[in-house]
Amino acid sequence: MPELPELNPVIHGKLRLALLTLLAGVEEAEFTWLREKTGATDGNLGAQLLKLEEAGYVAVEKKFVQRKPQSLYRMTEAGRTALTEYVRALKQLLGAEL
Amino acid sequence: MSTDSNEMELTERLKLIEDMIAEGRHGQESWGWSFVLWGVAYCIATAWATWGHSNLAWPVTMIAAGVMTGVIASRMSHGHPETTLGRALGAVWMAMGISLMVVLVCLAASGRYDTHVFVAIVGAMLGAAHATSAIILKWKMQFFCALVWLAACVTACFGSDTAVAVAFFAATFFGQISFGIYAMILEARRRKQREAAHA
Repeated sequence: MPELPELNPVIHGKLRLALLTLLAGVEEAEFTWLREKTGATDGNLGAQLLKLEEAGYVAVEKKFVQRKPQSLYRMTEAGRTALTEYVRALKQLLGAEL
Repeated sequence: MSTDSNEMELTERLKLIEDMIAEGRHGQESWGWSFVLWGVAYCIATAWATWGHSNLAWPVTMIAAGVMTGVIASRMSHGHPETTLGRALGAVWMAMGISLMVVLVCLAASGRYDTHVFVAIVGAMLGAAHATSAIILKWKMQFFCALVWLAACVTACFGSDTAVAVAFFAATFFGQISFGIYAMILEARRRKQREAAHA
């Protein structure tokens, strides 16, 4: 029997998985948009994004637009590869076609 | 943890991925207004050129419509990230618009412009852009719009002056204005469904 794959613990967290999936479909996204889509609190969202950033899965660009701070998040190549591998492992574990 | 609860957790993750993909696509799909705006702009330009006998009617109206599209689109997209799909569709329409403008301005400047040539080019270009969008989005209604514009293009090649005018207005009405209103209704319905789901 083939060995079952392990799921990446950084991505497996619900909010982190949601964030990476959202970022996979867009060029880049503002913090406020991610908050709106996930319904997470500022603190939790910031903490989970920081974990993804530390893992090298997302990159952040902070700037000021009309004197207001703006954080733009985008998925890195490492993040895309990690998400693809996570989905492949999930598929294998469930033994189902996506 | 039991096998069943483990499987349930994994299924939940899979559902979360699907939901987030769908969620990420929402909000960037409000383009119905632009079809209405351009359809109305064609009507204004035609009326101005016909009854006002002005050579400026088409360039001025088209530039005004272009500026309005840019301003409204940038306001509507504020805070909403650009998707790869949205960028691909936007590129098709932008490239079509620029090509159309260059060809029509050159034809007008060279004096080789007439109604048949104008409708043939506009019909072919809009037909191609609608067809490309329809294939990307797998949207039959938009493919119908492509056929309407291509029919106007064919009519312009073979039909009389009256037939060309009728074909152009029919294409503007069905392929732009009606389609735009239909798209706006669908967008509003989707927005309501999302709001109800989030409530």
